[in-house]
Amino acid sequence: MKKPDGKVVLLGDMNVGKTSLLHRYMEKRFQETVSTVGGAFYLKQWGPYNISIWDTAGREQFHGLGSMYCRGAAAVILTYDVNSLQSLTELEERFLALTDSASADCIFAIVGNKVDLTDDCALPPDENRPEKSVASCSSKVRKQVCAEDAIALYKKILKYKMLDEKDVPAAEKMCFETSAKTGYKVDYLFETVFDMVVPIIVRQKAEGPPQTVDITDYKPAKRTKSGCCA
Amino acid sequence: MSVKAFKLVSAVEREMLMGDKNYINIECIECCGKNLYIGTNDCFIYRFLLDEKTSTAGKITFAATKQLHKYLGLKKPVSELKAASALTRLLVLCDNTITLVNMMNLEPVPTGARIKGAVTFTLNENPVSGDPFCVEVCIISVKRRTIQMFMVFEDRVQIVKEVFTPEQPCAVAVDGYYLCLALTTQYIILNYNTGVSQDLFPYCSDEKRPIVKRIGRQEFLLAGPGGLGMFATVDGISQRAPVHWSENVIGAALCFPYVVALDDEFITVHSMLDQQQKQTLPFKEGHILQDFEGKVIVATNKGVYILVPLPLEKQIQDLLASHRVEEALVLAKGARRNIPKEKFQVMYKRILQQAGFIQFAQLQFLEAKELFRSGQLDVRELISLYPFLLPTSSSFIRSHPPLHEYADLNQLTQGDQEKMTKCKRFLMSYLNEVRSTEVANGYKEDIDTALLKLYAEANHESLLDLLVSENFCLLTDSAAWLEKHKKYFALGLLYHYNGQDATALQLWVKIVDGDIEDSTRSDLYEYIVDFLTFCSDQDLVWKYSEWVLQKNEEVGVQIFTKRPLEEQEKNNINPDDIISCLNKYPKARVKYLEYLVVERKIEKEKYHTHLAVLYLEAILQLKSVTTDNCTEATELLLKLRSLLQKSDLYRIHFILDKIQGTDLHMESAILYGKLEEHEKALHILVHELKDYHAAEEYCIWNSENRDMQYRRRLFHMLLSVYLNPSTSDCALVMAAVDLLNNHAAEFDASLVLQVVPDSWSVQLLSPFLAGAVRQSIHTRRMTQAALGLAQAENLIYKYEKVKQRGTPILLSDKKMYKPWDVHGQVKEKDSSVVIRGFLWVTDRGGQMERLN
Repeated sequence: MKKPDGKVVLLGDMNVGKTSLLHRYMEKRFQETVSTVGGAFYLKQWGPYNISIWDTAGREQFHGLGSMYCRGAAAVILTYDVNSLQSLTELEERFLALTDSASADCIFAIVGNKVDLTDDCALPPDENRPEKSVASCSSKVRKQVCAEDAIALYKKILKYKMLDEKDVPAAEKMCFETSAKTGYKVDYLFETVFDMVVPIIVRQKAEGPPQTVDITDYKPAKRTKSGCCA
Repeated sequence: MSVKAFKLVSAVEREMLMGDKNYINIECIECCGKNLYIGTNDCFIYRFLLDEKTSTAGKITFAATKQLHKYLGLKKPVSELKAASALTRLLVLCDNTITLVNMMNLEPVPTGARIKGAVTFTLNENPVSGDPFCVEVCIISVKRRTIQMFMVFEDRVQIVKEVFTPEQPCAVAVDGYYLCLALTTQYIILNYNTGVSQDLFPYCSDEKRPIVKRIGRQEFLLAGPGGLGMFATVDGISQRAPVHWSENVIGAALCFPYVVALDDEFITVHSMLDQQQKQTLPFKEGHILQDFEGKVIVATNKGVYILVPLPLEKQIQDLLASHRVEEALVLAKGARRNIPKEKFQVMYKRILQQAGFIQFAQLQFLEAKELFRSGQLDVRELISLYPFLLPTSSSFIRSHPPLHEYADLNQLTQGDQEKMTKCKRFLMSYLNEVRSTEVANGYKEDIDTALLKLYAEANHESLLDLLVSENFCLLTDSAAWLEKHKKYFALGLLYHYNGQDATALQLWVKIVDGDIEDSTRSDLYEYIVDFLTFCSDQDLVWKYSEWVLQKNEEVGVQIFTKRPLEEQEKNNINPDDIISCLNKYPKARVKYLEYLVVERKIEKEKYHTHLAVLYLEAILQLKSVTTDNCTEATELLLKLRSLLQKSDLYRIHFILDKIQGTDLHMESAILYGKLEEHEKALHILVHELKDYHAAEEYCIWNSENRDMQYRRRLFHMLLSVYLNPSTSDCALVMAAVDLLNNHAAEFDASLVLQVVPDSWSVQLLSPFLAGAVRQSIHTRRMTQAALGLAQAENLIYKYEKVKQRGTPILLSDKKMYKPWDVHGQVKEKDSSVVIRGFLWVTDRGGQMERLN
């Protein structure tokens, strides 16, 4: 098996469309999927690098696995359903903590899937959307989450990670709205993320195996301490 | 699903072990080489010899023969057994104590070496000590939250390390310094050397028995939530997607590329390569599943069974047989490292080819092509599927065992014409692609012949391209096929390619004559003409020349006029033969003579005369039929004139005789001109034709390449014709004036003035006069300039001459220079002498004096 050079992880509540997004990107078609059990993974050749993309299970039952899947990840794609505010809230409450094990320079993308189900999807690309008032957004009956909410979440993530906005990609660039069903912006999402992952891979390669650094450098201190105290 | 990856074979039946003592249960097993050990709940250890037998049908059976049994003397069950073959020791866990017994006779070591206080233990399969006579044992201690590492030697044990865990451990696996531990609520990786630990994922050991299984270097398989088999490396990451077991898995084992799991009712087999479940074997009451050196053993309380893996090749063939190409290829690729390289390559190629045919049969041509290509398929395997495509002479025999199940395309498509067409189209494009690659080496004939047949059948335009470029089509096979499909033109090309031009021409002529039908080329006649033109076989050219000329004289004559130059130089057809052949075809004859005279510029009187005569006859013929100046006649006239003017080779008198008495005045004028009888010619032009312009032109072209004098003579002649006193035609006078005024330079003005009638005014001739004067002045000046230049040049030469003579001359009293007047004055320059570059003269006293 080819050894992946970098890892991208899809996180998000169950039924937001993680598997469908990945399927749409890899197979170029939409297919009804069943609830993912445990996780699945694909290898994608991107330039000279092999990027592994992990599709995680959104079900609560498998929540505990997330941390392991995220370990050493170069990018995390946090996915929600634009028709479910709850799915966005879950990202912050349940999934964000899982990314603690990701690579220190991990990038984050926030993706609102299923825009095909909203009245909004006929509108041109979401570049126009941030200019709209919140009121006009909420007037769309079915769409519960608008781009501003995602951007706000992105900023919260930066705060949580104690990252400076200046050092990371802009929120507008990292918040996507997609439709796995129609394929809308799916390729764009993955390609944008991969392009950003490449410099991280290059840096990781220059610094030596990331996993080794992971364990011996900063993880242990915390762990041994807790081991002693418990 | 259902690949048959394993077969369950009984190894030890209950009677052999316990007879009718129903209370005896199997607690644990171990297998090392041919030794199978069983530990029971009544504190016995049994040793069996396991013999593997393969029947002639390839069926594997195991026969276990009991060697001995040993009672350990405790009334506790034997909970674990592990063999350390390097030490010939068996490690026995019973009553929380690990004892060392001899592997063969099961006697305890005399030293009584043991490890006390062990709940469970495991061996480090990736030891760190490097001592071959020592095994590393890791135990979960009876002490709370304690793991201990031991080194076990032949007859002693030694504790190496004791580490504490955050929670009570309940299962452990070791790889090098890494412990993979199932704690009460989670799995962790712990490096016992550094103490560093890494959380893997949470797991509730109260609800389900955890599984921790080392599956390879630095990688473990763990029972995860929701019945997942999770893979984790010592770095705490997962490199494979999990496999999905049932919720109540109690044991797992590895037999590459499969993960085998045991639950209450089934043994399930998942592939590590694609995580898919591949096989399910019903198995009730199983409670042990372990792999020993690649042998997977399951046991119930009462009996032991072996999961015999079916050969990978067999599994792959089964997958292919059920058309599961993807899986078969994944399995084959995964097997690479388990099979010697050469064997693998042969096997893998064959699998690719088989997979290709499966895809092909499903009309998945792109995939099929890729598989054929990477599997380096002998293309003839594919061709042979199509009836009649392989040449009858082909020695090809399909590989055995067959790569596919189809007799031919009819069977494959079940007579569906549309599918058949698609398949044929695919073969066309495939053969076209491979025919020039190395895949085709060795059987280019078969490929090209098949391709030709396909093209012919499908009426494909590439048929002609194939035949006119380098190809290896077999003649007899292809010819029969082309004839069958009425591709006569192509058949001709085939004959031509095989050097049978006569046969080719015969066919094509038949097509043109309508004897056989083939509409490939509407311009086949022109094609044949072209073909003959470039045909080096002169006999053929002669043979078909009549036919070609009968069809169309003017086009047909090209077979003679457009022959390639190289041929003309070496191997020329005698033009006289051609002309005599063309006698029946006047138009062709004229064309051919034109070709000889005008194009090839052959300087032979007879051709030139012949051509002129032919022109003349044709013109006279036309003139006799119609009085109008039809374009054809005009064209001919122009040609004739051009010939008469430009050629000097024809027999002038002969032509002149022919032309006399006709109204071809211009032509006779030209002929007179050729005879230098300019007066006659000009007379005709001026008096007969009254074409003054033509007369002037005559003067000009007749004096071309002659000197000035000649031209003047002609112009003066023309002037005197104009001014002939016998006629007093006003038009002639005007012509004379115009002639003078327009061509002042061509006349000698003084002569003109003598002949010009006195009655003419100066005004009338002013342009001529002005021109003449200007010309005269111009001439004078030019002459002066020329003179000056000549003098200058002369001086330069003189100077050069004097310089060249500059050799010293010795002068003495005795040797006086007599030529000079030594007494007189220096009279002339000539009496000087140049010595060493200086000019000297001698004075009266004979003294030399330097002048410069």
